[in-house]
Parts: sequence; structure tokens; C-alpha cells
Amino acid sequence: MNRSLRKTAYGLLAAFVVLLGSVVWIQAVQGADYRDDPRNPRLVAWRTGRERGPIVTADDVLVAISSPSGTGANTYQREYPEGPMYAHTVGYTSVLFGTTGIEKAWSSTLLSDRDATISGVLNALLGGDPRPRGLRLTIDHELQAAAAEALGDQKGAVVAIDPRTGAILALVSNPTFDPNSLVDASAFDAGEALSNDPDEPLRNRVTDESYPPGSVFKVVTATAGFDAGVVSPSSEFDDPLELELPGSAATISNFGGTRCNGGSPVALEAAFVRSCNTVFAQLGMNVGGRQLAITAQRFGFDSDIPFDLPTLMSRFPNGDALEADPAATAQTAIGQRDVQTTPLLMALAASAVANDGLVMEPYLVSEVFTSSGEIELRAEPRVWRRSLSPATASVLASMMEQVVISGTGTKAAVPGVRIGGKTGTAEVTGSAPHAWFIGFGPVDAASDEATIAIAVVVESGGSFGESATGGSTAAPIAQRVLAAFFGVPVD
Amino acid sequence: MTRTVEAGFIVAASLLAAIGVAITEFTLGNWLDAQVLVTLATFVAAFGGLHVAVRRWAPGGSPLILPIAAFLTAIGFIEIYRIDPELASLQRWALVVAATAGIVVLWLLRDRGVAVLRRYRYVILAVGVVFLLLPLLPNTWPIHGATVNGSRLWVRFSLPSFDRVLSFQPGEIAKVCIAIFLASYLAERAESMAVAERTLGRIRLPEPRSLGPILIAAGAAFAILIYQRDLGASLLLFGLFILMLYIATARPFYLAAGGVLAIVGGFVAANVFTHVGRRIEGWIDPFGHFADSGYQAVQGLFAMGSGSLTGSGIGLGRPDLIPAATTDFIFAAVAEELGLAGSIAVLTAFALFLAVGFGVAIRARDRFRKFLAAGLTVVVGLQAFIILAGVLRLMPITGITLPFMSYGGSSLLANVAIVALLVRVSHEERS
Repeated sequence: MNRSLRKTAYGLLAAFVVLLGSVVWIQAVQGADYRDDPRNPRLVAWRTGRERGPIVTADDVLVAISSPSGTGANTYQREYPEGPMYAHTVGYTSVLFGTTGIEKAWSSTLLSDRDATISGVLNALLGGDPRPRGLRLTIDHELQAAAAEALGDQKGAVVAIDPRTGAILALVSNPTFDPNSLVDASAFDAGEALSNDPDEPLRNRVTDESYPPGSVFKVVTATAGFDAGVVSPSSEFDDPLELELPGSAATISNFGGTRCNGGSPVALEAAFVRSCNTVFAQLGMNVGGRQLAITAQRFGFDSDIPFDLPTLMSRFPNGDALEADPAATAQTAIGQRDVQTTPLLMALAASAVANDGLVMEPYLVSEVFTSSGEIELRAEPRVWRRSLSPATASVLASMMEQVVISGTGTKAAVPGVRIGGKTGTAEVTGSAPHAWFIGFGPVDAASDEATIAIAVVVESGGSFGESATGGSTAAPIAQRVLAAFFGVPVD
Repeated sequence: MTRTVEAGFIVAASLLAAIGVAITEFTLGNWLDAQVLVTLATFVAAFGGLHVAVRRWAPGGSPLILPIAAFLTAIGFIEIYRIDPELASLQRWALVVAATAGIVVLWLLRDRGVAVLRRYRYVILAVGVVFLLLPLLPNTWPIHGATVNGSRLWVRFSLPSFDRVLSFQPGEIAKVCIAIFLASYLAERAESMAVAERTLGRIRLPEPRSLGPILIAAGAAFAILIYQRDLGASLLLFGLFILMLYIATARPFYLAAGGVLAIVGGFVAANVFTHVGRRIEGWIDPFGHFADSGYQAVQGLFAMGSGSLTGSGIGLGRPDLIPAATTDFIFAAVAEELGLAGSIAVLTAFALFLAVGFGVAIRARDRFRKFLAAGLTVVVGLQAFIILAGVLRLMPITGITLPFMSYGGSSLLANVAIVALLVRVSHEERS
């Protein structure tokens, strides 16, 4: 009888040990996840008034700071000294509209431990630093300002990346807004107006908007041809005035309705430099839809980009379906029809060419520092994926350099620096075309020393309207950003 | 000597409650007021009174039981006060009533001890059953049942001379009566039930008729589930039956059969009763049912997770955001404000209570006392486990109070009575 008593006692005590394990799991292991869950109503209470750490740019410009609000002990007001310029990167911490951007992604680092909790007091007693951590961005304020000025008041996006590391150097999305107007409890009307604005100023067009890539997609199509061993830069193609598509009434013609090479056979490299649709449509059909899809996926289509900010997935049509439909393959190969991409992914495509075919994971925060200025965490660059072989990357780099030297991208040229690029003019129904430019510099096939890759998109032609092209509209913007980066005066 | 230590612990627990109230007033930005002294006085009077009664009528009793109860009551009280000071002042009255009841129990058993309970076992069973059935009284009667949160387990007195409606949960009292009855019944019948007549391979099966009690237990549990929709009480009573049958007969068959019946019953209930199905759905995927059946579980997780290792501090968290924070989810509220440190303290106190209670049972001199001490300990331990496992997502939330800590007079009364009985049994083992 005492045996069954003992067994029952051990059984119930074991059950309490399981409870103990469970509470350790919930509070110690999973605790932070539950605490930081956006549905946790405590967050609303906490984010209003708690001290958050400062955020500075790579060149020490303060872009977010908490200062005492004076409305009570330990309550702070969040301020964004640079206003609209970092609205999409830094985001905001708002009583009414939640937290976005870096403020959200790095929330637990930025939040202060200095409060009257047992943990806060204990931490202080043990000599821990209770002040919130600060963040240093990878963004360079001068470059950011140059990019914002170059884009002006046109709708669109500019993003610049260091291809060697994935560090974001500039990130501009237009139209923008002033995050200071959303911080406090009286911001309801301002927030409503912004979220109802048809121009969608709250949307981050770099990461969270997708466009048809148009001719910048020819970088992917060319890669598919080279990597599949189907073509070389000197392979020759027919030069029809209009390319008829099999099994379809549709035709493909070049920009302006002209021939690519006066009617005589044209080399692939020349067609790339002049951005001839007829040639790349043929190449697409030669390579086939399946191979094109595989290459696009290697560039990161249909994948989530690992990043500090939420990113929209860039979409490429199903390869098998495309394989069975050469007409669709031809249109997709020139970046039209159903292919959709974010400016961020196109910048990463340029950085792949610039970095020997390797794409690094993009990131925005280079350092976490304590209130006394000690660096607590430094970002470690990580490889995201290989998009193309080093050999193909080197071939494409010199083809892209020719685009800027003598092709459609001459307006992106920076004196004294070898720039590579590709323009795109994406046709959209119902509005003027989107103007694209992607590029990098300096081009040096031998030492892969490119230090910047860039993507520019100007929505619906920008100030050029219907007459906009990638070369006329987007390339000059890229030129001003690249010139600012390399410290070369232009104009 | 040990009684002096007990007195010291009781003073410490009373100070704990008073300091908790003071901290709450401070963090909520109020001036300290009489609440601190009234709380101190109530705890000293209630547990001090029990202590004096134990010195008089059960001086050989274990000195650990009362301090553990006082500690858990104090922690629970602080959190109730912090969430709703008005509820806390009702809880203070409940504590006085519960302590008085505990003292009365000790006084009643002063000469003849717990053995006297055996003589009245059928009276006690009848009281237990009547108490279980009370909530089913029609709403038009002066004393009538009431449905709260879908479960009919309350009784209300609406007497013309009272402007406040008094309510209590008779099921809490019933569980003590049933534990006493089972101890007494099994003390006589256990031997015949333990004999194995048949074998199936290596498994020895009992007589078919000894399956009777277990089927009655399952039937009663299911009836409670159907008529009162009270998942927690149903599970507690069934578990108590099974564990006591096992303790009395030492036959694992009862555990196995009970486990199978519980799983089958739970499966049937989940498919037949929507309220059970919803609980299970909210258990399996609370985040997927965030807006409805998973809401309470998720709010509990947010609270406990936000508490982290050392808690927000008393008065600095938001336990008021958890549904039923003062009753079923009092543990999540404590875990938020006192952190993992507080959670572990509470779990350890319950485990200590179990260890002491079973120790009393193991050392008791005769079968009845053994079964009584074990049954009462199982009632507290199992009830604590059922609600804690629900809060901690190990099983569906069943809705039952956490002994000593939850707000509620009937629960406190029943558990203080259990404490008094346990102390008395441990006294008798020595004399």
C-alpha cells in the first residue's frame, strides 16, 4: 500500500517537474517571442513613452532619437531629425499605427532595459548597462541625400548596395512622408490621409512594390543562354523588323519599331548593347521556358530575400507552362508579360554580376553599440546565393560596360570610372512606361573590385511621361548617385 | 520548537502579503493607506488563529503544511489586490471565514480524531452529492443555480433582505466530502477489490464486478460534464477516483483503465459537445484561433512571456489584459509580474505541499488515515496540476481554481479545511 502511495506521489511530483519545464520553456526560451509578438497588447502600452536607442547613419548623422517628453517620469518622445528621407528605412514608432521599418525589426535591441522592474533593477545592481542600445545603419547620408535629390519628386525608387558585402548604401522611395507626423496620439488624421493617398507614400517601393522589369531582365536571359552553353557573345541572330511568334498573332518589335542591325545578322553582344527585343525574344525561345525559369530562380525570383525590412517576393512564371508556350517565353525573355520584380532584387542582380556571380544577403544595420559607445555587435556579411558562374559574370560585366560606353546607357557614364549597366523601358497598359536602370562600378573583370551596385526605377515615365526610356530617365539618376559615390563632379 | 518556526513562517507570509499591497499602492502611484495594515491583520488573524488551534488540538501535526498554504495564499492575494482591490477586500473576508472553518474542523475532531469521520461517511457522501447537484436548482428559487461562462457550477442566494447576491461554488466543498467518503469506503473494501481472479497472458484482470466503482466514477464525471458543463471538476473527480483506487489496491489496471476511459471520454466529449471541442481547438492551435477559442491561452502566453525571468514587478505588468486573471489564470498573472522566479517559487510550493501530504499518508498508522491524507493531497495536487497544465498549454484549459491562490471563497474554504484535516492526521500518527 505504501508502495502505491509512493508511486502516486512520485507520479504527481513528476507531473510538476513537467510543469516546471513548461514554464521555463514559455518564460525563458520562448518568452521574448511572445513578448515581442505584434498582437501582444502590452506592446502598445510600452512603445509609447519608453526610451529607445538612437539610430545613426554610417557617417554619423542622427536619424532617430528619444528625448524626455516632460509629461512624466521616464517617458520619452521619439524624433526623426531627418524627417522624410529615412521614413521607409527607419520607419516609425507610433502610438496609433504600430512600429515599422528598422524600428520594428530591431525593436528589442532598441528598447531600454531601464525601468522599475525587478529585472531592470537587478541588471543595474549587477553592473549591466540599462540604457538602450543604438544602431548604426549601412546607409551613407551623403549618398542617400544625392539619391533623393536625383529622383526629385518623381515617383519611384533608388537603391544602392555594396556588392562585396550586401550593405545597403542608399534607399530612396518616392513619394515619402514625415514619420514625425505619425508618432503621437494626435496623429490619427495624418495617418488616415497617408494610408488613403492613392500614391501610397507609406509603401516602400524598393522592397515592397513590384514592376515588370522590361529590358533589364535581359541580364537574366543572357545568363540563361551563356550558362546553358547555348550562345556566346558573338553568336549571331536574325534581324527581322518584326519577330512573329509561333502559335500566336502577337509580334515583337524593337524600341521605336526599327531594325537592330539594318537587317543583317547581329551578334548577341551588340543586341545587348542596343537592347534589341527581337534578338532576346529569339534567345529566350532557343533557351526554353524551363531553363529561363531556373536561371530567374537562381537570381532570386520566387524566393524571399533575407532582409531587415519586409520584402515582396519577385515572381517568375512557371517554367513548365512557359516551355510549352514559346510565344509567352519570348515575351517573358524581354521582361514583359507576367514577370514582376522589386527594385531590391534587380539591384541584387546587378551586384551578382559585379561580385563574380555571388549575391550577398542585403542588410541595413552595420553595428549595435551601447550607450557608452562600445560596439556590441558587428554585422557579418553572408552569402545569399550564386546567381551566375564567375565566367558568365565576367562576360556580362564587359557587355554591361559597353551599354554605358556606346549603348542605351550612356547617360549613366561617370568620367574616369568604368561603369556597367543595363537600361529597361517596361511597357504597362494604361500608363506611361516605367524607366529602369541597373548598374555597378567600377568594372574590372580582373580584380572584381566593384564597390557599388544600383537599381533605379522611375514609375510611369516620371517627368518624361510617355517619352520616357530607361536611358533618358533612369540612367541620369544613376549617374548622379554613382558620381556622388565616387566623388566625381558631373554637369 | 517546530511550532515556533511555523509561527515565524506565518508572520513572514503575512508580511509578504502586506508588503505586496504596499508595493502595489506605490507602483500604481497611490499613497499607502489602511489597506496594508488591514491585510497584515487579516493574515495574522487567519493563519495565526489556525496556528493557535493547531497548538491546542493537533500539537503533533506537521509544521510545514500551514506555512505553505499561507505563502501560496499571500502570493495569490497580492496579485488579486493588484488587479482588483475590491475583489481583494472580499477575498480577505473569505480568508477569515475559511480560517474559522478550519479552526472549527480542528475543534470538532479534538477528542476522537479523524476516525469519527468514518462513522458519518454516508452523511458526508450525501452532503457531497447534494452540493454537487445544488447548481442545478432552477433559477426561480431563492437559492438557485447560475451559469457563468457557460458552466453551471455556481449557487446564488438572492434573499430579499440582502442587496448583494451571495454566490458560491458548492463543487469545491463536494470534492472534500467525496475524498473523505472514498478514503473510508476503500479502507474497508480495498482488499476484496485487489484480488485478481483471472489472467490474460501476463496481465492479471480483476473480477468484472470490481469494475463497478470505476464505471460509476466515469459515469459521474460524464454527468457533471453534461449537466454542469464543468470540464475541470469532472476531470478532478474522475482523477481522484482513479488515483485512490490505485493507491488502495496497488493495481496498475485501474490507472490503465482510467486512462483509456479518460481518453475515450475526452474524444467523445470533444466531438459531441461544442464547448469541449472549442477548448481542444484553442489548445492545439491557439494562435490560429486568436480571436476566439485561443484568445485566453494566447493572452496567458503573452503575459508569461512578457514576464520573462524576473517579471515586470508588481503593479508594472498588465495582467488585467488576461481573461479570468484573478481566478483560472492567476498563475499567468503572477508569472508576468514576478517572472520565472515567481513561477518556480509557486510550483515548488505546490510540489512541497504534495511531498508533505504524501509523507503524512505514508507515515499514517491505519488504512483510513493513509487514504484520507492521500486523497486530500491528491485533491489539491491534481486540481493545481489541471489548471496549471491548461495555463501552460500542456492540456486544454478546463476552468478550475488554483488552490489557495485564485480568488474565490468556496475554493479557499475547501482548501483550508483540507489543510486542517491534513494537520490533524499528521498529529494522530504521532500520538
